[in-house]
Amino acid sequence: MTESSSKVLARIERELRDVWLAPEPAGGSLPPKSRVCTMNLLVAGPRDLMDGYTHVVDEVTASIPARAILIALDPDAEDSELSGDATAVCSLLGGKNICSERVRLVAQGAVCTRVASAVDSILVPEIPTALVWLGRVHVTDPVFLSLSASAQRIITDSEYSSLSSLLHLSAWARRGSSQASIADLAWTRLAPWQELFARFFDDPRLHDHASRITRLAFRQASEAGARLGSEGALLLGWVATRLGWRTSRMGGALRFHRRDGKNLPIDFGVTPRPEGTAPSSLASVRLEADHGDVHVEGAIERELASGLSSDAVDADMVNWTLRVGGAPPIEQRVRFGANKAAKWLERTLHRPARDPALAESVAFAEEVLEDGVVCGAPSHPR
Amino acid sequence: MNPLRNGLVEDRTGDACAVVIFGASGDLTKRKLVPAFYNLGVSRSLPSGFAIVGVARREKTHEQFRAEMKEGVSTFSRRKPIDPAFWSDFERGITYVAGTFDAQKTYEDLRLHLDQLDRDRGTAKNRLFYLAVPPSEFGQIVAGLKSAGLVQPPNVHREGGAWTRVVVEKPFGHDLASAQVLNDTIASTFDESQVFRIDHYLGKETVQNLLVFRFANSLFEPIWHREHVDHVQITVAEDIGVEGRGKFYEQIGVTKDIVENHLMQLLCLTAMEPPISLAADAVRDEKVKVLRSLRPMERSLVQENVIRGQYDRGAVRGDEVPAYREEPDVARDSRVETFVAMRVFVDNWRWGGVPFYVRAGKRLARRVTEIAVQFKRVPHGLFRAPDGGITQNVLAMRIQPDEGIALRFTTKEPGQHTVLRDVAMDFRYGAAFGSNTPEAYERLLLDSMRGEATLFTRRDEVEEQWAYIDRVFDAWRAEANAPPPLYAAGSWGPEQADDLVARDGRRWRKP
Repeated sequence: MTESSSKVLARIERELRDVWLAPEPAGGSLPPKSRVCTMNLLVAGPRDLMDGYTHVVDEVTASIPARAILIALDPDAEDSELSGDATAVCSLLGGKNICSERVRLVAQGAVCTRVASAVDSILVPEIPTALVWLGRVHVTDPVFLSLSASAQRIITDSEYSSLSSLLHLSAWARRGSSQASIADLAWTRLAPWQELFARFFDDPRLHDHASRITRLAFRQASEAGARLGSEGALLLGWVATRLGWRTSRMGGALRFHRRDGKNLPIDFGVTPRPEGTAPSSLASVRLEADHGDVHVEGAIERELASGLSSDAVDADMVNWTLRVGGAPPIEQRVRFGANKAAKWLERTLHRPARDPALAESVAFAEEVLEDGVVCGAPSHPR
Repeated sequence: MNPLRNGLVEDRTGDACAVVIFGASGDLTKRKLVPAFYNLGVSRSLPSGFAIVGVARREKTHEQFRAEMKEGVSTFSRRKPIDPAFWSDFERGITYVAGTFDAQKTYEDLRLHLDQLDRDRGTAKNRLFYLAVPPSEFGQIVAGLKSAGLVQPPNVHREGGAWTRVVVEKPFGHDLASAQVLNDTIASTFDESQVFRIDHYLGKETVQNLLVFRFANSLFEPIWHREHVDHVQITVAEDIGVEGRGKFYEQIGVTKDIVENHLMQLLCLTAMEPPISLAADAVRDEKVKVLRSLRPMERSLVQENVIRGQYDRGAVRGDEVPAYREEPDVARDSRVETFVAMRVFVDNWRWGGVPFYVRAGKRLARRVTEIAVQFKRVPHGLFRAPDGGITQNVLAMRIQPDEGIALRFTTKEPGQHTVLRDVAMDFRYGAAFGSNTPEAYERLLLDSMRGEATLFTRRDEVEEQWAYIDRVFDAWRAEANAPPPLYAAGSWGPEQADDLVARDGRRWRKP
């Protein structure tokens, strides 16, 4: 016989209390548990995705202690049922046993539409709530709508859903349908690329070169003929919207124009994808720019999969090069941040809530992707 | 401005520059400075055009210097182990110039070397000179830099050209007169806007958070004054002794080592008025006003308001430890103070009549730095507390270790009787935000590369601090042969320090 939702919640509340009332094991080597909670972290998605995401949430709450509520959704199940449990997830930090609370809920059948009311009743009051939505977002989905109503921040991953769903979500939030800010894990992952790209124009002598880019080339890890991936499209969207670029079509082909109206050729190439590298990962970006009599060439080249062979948790090395006129090149090698889902989610939670560039960049990227830009013509500028 | 930097969320990169460390053979370089630059590099906060140049007397090759720095990073970096792929690129930017600081050739060699780095590594003619040397060598170095044409006036940068900055380590003198001489020496070559005086306490997250806590929360500022605050206690306690630095400590003592700089800065941040902005001078103006409001410690007041002490044998963390006078390089009849407690008044509208009890010492019961604001008692006792009174609310801001903020208040114990109990709301940074926060030096070095001076001490702050402390030393000198009272290592200082607050009907916290 199944429990009613209210009984499940009562049991979960009891389990949450008991976690802190339970005596420490005698003679244990761990210090006493300290309960810490800085936010409610809701994670919702299809049941199969949630199973693999629990350890990600546990890793995140080890550094951002929270009440994590994982909501596995199975709306097509025949039975209508809510089940769940609660436990403490502890980690040693600076000699202290810091514990977060983890609640797991499984909503089946019609209960899915009411699961937000169950979640509301176990949120810790007076602290922020973030909703991580795994999978594609539909802003008309009643389950999404009801869960997002409690959140001040909604986080998706457009790489695993789509840029168009992120675009719809941003537009929906902008219309005032939600007070929540929108964040995207793929956008967070783009941050090192943005930072390194911006570096090309940091020298005051090169500030004006940013609006005088004459060629741009992206190369991604895929077979020739593959469509441009979201990582490359998002970076292009960011550069284009920061520099006021526009698009046009000529005979069905996509064209890019600088703010001053000049055509801007952009090449989309490919490079072999090493084992362990995500499909369509951005591998390199190259540019050329001319202003006055100073010619500039810049390159960011990721050593794909180089992080896999080290202890750096898939944090690939990146070579950054800038050539200004005939001077010797300025080179720098840096390492991207560890490519772990938990790290990106943690970083997203630490970022400022609102990033005005996100929606504009996504809109531009979506337009490029809609055109079905194909990568494979090996015509990188040299 | 670079249009791609506009609105970039993760935008904390230093300007392209060459960092020149004078005194590069010293401990500071390999323990703090290069590990801090390494960590900035790992977190991609270093610019692409970047180089470190060590300058010291000893002859050594670039490779030898790099090997020393690698060892330092391996040992002292907060990120371990060293990342070999990153290090191999990072170390290419580390070079060494040998030379004595009094020889003009050193500066000529340095200039040629820096010109070459501008071409090879894109350091854009920006120079950050770091003086990790005793103050007695400042004069030679700044004069050498000036005569070699290595210092650009600040207007060059304001007009879009390269910048030159100098970072100076404490101690900034040993009294007001010497601080003025030092400042004059530096000012002979550098404009004040180019001078970055490091007090590494200001780079600590919790110290920076003092401003956020006070001025981003509407709850506390309305009660942050004499109507509600009974008194303030500031403690900078160390459990270690002089750790082989007896010779240095004999010259300085805890008052000059800790109180004159770190502790006075904590006091300023606690007592200052809201600045009109977070611009460097807006914040520093307010700190200077606090320093100028300190009730002068006239000679007649020192005996009543200042207690010094020196540690005797005792036990710290379960180990027997020697007396200060038994430490190497310490005189057997040394009168240097290893502990000081002071009662300080900030004579202004906000704080009139509120005592600030401050203390600092070595070989105390534990290592802790905290600011505790003790609020006044309730005006009428409704409840009978077991010890006859209700304890006061305390807001304690812990700077180190276990950085955080705790608020003590009184509650009723569950039960039929009204039994009162003190409890604490306790916020710990490490627990809430993780413990791998940047070292103070990382923040401060990055700020100096970006020209952000808010967390650095301005000339007038330093001189006001010395002016205040000098009076204490004047009084002590007048006491001639009075040795400081002894306290057992592992205690909280001499009994006289307890009397200092007990006379006012108060007692020290045991943080």
